[in-house]
Amino acid sequence: MNMPAQMFGSWRRILGSLTLAVLLEQLPWSGWALALRPDFVLVGVLFWTLHQPARIGFGAAFFLGLLADFQDGSVFGQHAIAYVAGVYLVLFLRMRLLQFDPYRQAAQLFPILLTVQLAVLLIGWLAVNPPASLVMLLPVLSSTVLWYLVALFVRLWHGKSLLDRA
Amino acid sequence: MATPGQLMFARRLGPTARLLIWLLVGVSCVVADARYRALDDLRSGFSLLLQPARETLRAPSDIAAELGGFFTRHRLLQNERDALLAERARLLISVNAAKELVRENAELRTLLQLQTRPGQQAVQAALLYQGHDWFAQRITLDQGGGAGLRSGLPVVDATGLVGQVSRVYPGSSEVALVSSPEQLTPVFVERTGQRGLAAGSGHGQMELRYMPAQTDIRAGDRLLTSGIDRVYPSGIPVARVSRVSRSQSSPYLRVECLPLAGLDRSRAVLVLIAEPQVTTR
Repeated sequence: MNMPAQMFGSWRRILGSLTLAVLLEQLPWSGWALALRPDFVLVGVLFWTLHQPARIGFGAAFFLGLLADFQDGSVFGQHAIAYVAGVYLVLFLRMRLLQFDPYRQAAQLFPILLTVQLAVLLIGWLAVNPPASLVMLLPVLSSTVLWYLVALFVRLWHGKSLLDRA
Repeated sequence: MATPGQLMFARRLGPTARLLIWLLVGVSCVVADARYRALDDLRSGFSLLLQPARETLRAPSDIAAELGGFFTRHRLLQNERDALLAERARLLISVNAAKELVRENAELRTLLQLQTRPGQQAVQAALLYQGHDWFAQRITLDQGGGAGLRSGLPVVDATGLVGQVSRVYPGSSEVALVSSPEQLTPVFVERTGQRGLAAGSGHGQMELRYMPAQTDIRAGDRLLTSGIDRVYPSGIPVARVSRVSRSQSSPYLRVECLPLAGLDRSRAVLVLIAEPQVTTR
C-alpha cells in the first residue's frame, strides 16, 4: 500500500523529470514556438513542490531559476526570485490545490504562474531597463495548459487516492 | 504555518521565513551580477554544463535539414550550379577591380602618410540557442573564447549586420541582436550620406533616432554602418527604412526600419575580428 506512494515520489523520478524539463528548454526553439514555449522547469518545480514539499522546495527552485537566468542571458536572480515566490504560493495554497481535479488545479495555477512571470518582469525592470513587449506573457497560458496535461496524466496513471495521500 | 507531513513542533523554519531568506539571497545575486559583474564564472560554468546538451538537441533538426538537402532534385542542383558559376565569374571581375583599387588606395595612403586600415579576420559560427527574455533579444553561438572571440565584436550574416558579441564563454558566446532594445548602431543613410544612430526597438524592428524634421529620408533607404565608433567596420548593411512619420510633439522624425539580416532565421553567421596590424595580399 505504501509502495506506490514512495515510487511516485522517488528521487529518481523527481530528478529525471526535472532533467527532462531542463533538456526540453535546450531544444532550438524559435519563432512562435519560442514565444509560446511553456516554462517546463517552472511547472516541474511547482509540481514536485506540491506533491513532495519535503524534497523539492526553495533551494531547488532557486538553483533552477539561476539556470533559467543563464539560459535567457538575463541578470542572475531574476528568475530565481520569481521561482522562489512561486514555490511559496504553492506551499501556501497546497492543501487547497491537492483537493482539485486537474482542470481546476490548472485554473488555480494560472494566477500563480502569472505572478511568477510578473515577478520576473518587475525584477528585470528594477535591475535593467523597461521591457520590450508583452509577448512574454504567452508562456503563462501554455504553462497552465502543460500543468493540466501533467496533472491529468498523473491522475490517470496513479489514480486519485494516491495524490491525496502524497 | 504547519504543512502536513511535518511534525507539529518540528524545529524547522516556516515557509515565510524561508521565503524571506531566499529572497535576500536572490536580491544579493541581482546586485552582485548587475552592479559588480561578480557572477561571470557561474555563467561560464552553466555554459559548460549545458553546451553538450544543446549541441545534441540541435542534431535532430540538422539531420532533417541534411536529409531534405539529400533528396533535392538533380536538375535543381545543376541549375543552382550554373547560376553560381555565372555569379562567380561576375564576382571574379569585381574582385580584380577591387584588388586594383586596394593597390591604388594603399599607394595614395602612403603618399598622404595616412594610417592603413586594419585588416579583418572572420570566424564562422552557427546558431546554437535562442533566448527568451523580456528585456533583450539574444542568440547563443557555438564559437567562444577558444576561437578568439571577445565581447564587443560585430557579427554579420550574408545580408547584413546581425549584432554584437555581448558575453563570451569558453565554447560559446552570446550575441545581442541589433533589434534588441538599447542596442545602438551608428549608421549613415546610403543615398544621402547623412549620419545617425539606429537603436533596436524590440519586436524585431529598429528606429533611427534624432533625425531632424527636415532631413531627406524616405521609405526604402538603406542604412549602412558608418564606422565612426571603431567597433563596426564601415559599410555593412544594417536596415532598410520602412516608414517615416512626423509627430507634432517632437522636433525629430519618427523613422522605423527593418533589419536586413535574418536575425533569428540565419543559422550560419560570421564574427569579424579586426586585427591591429595590416594584412595585404
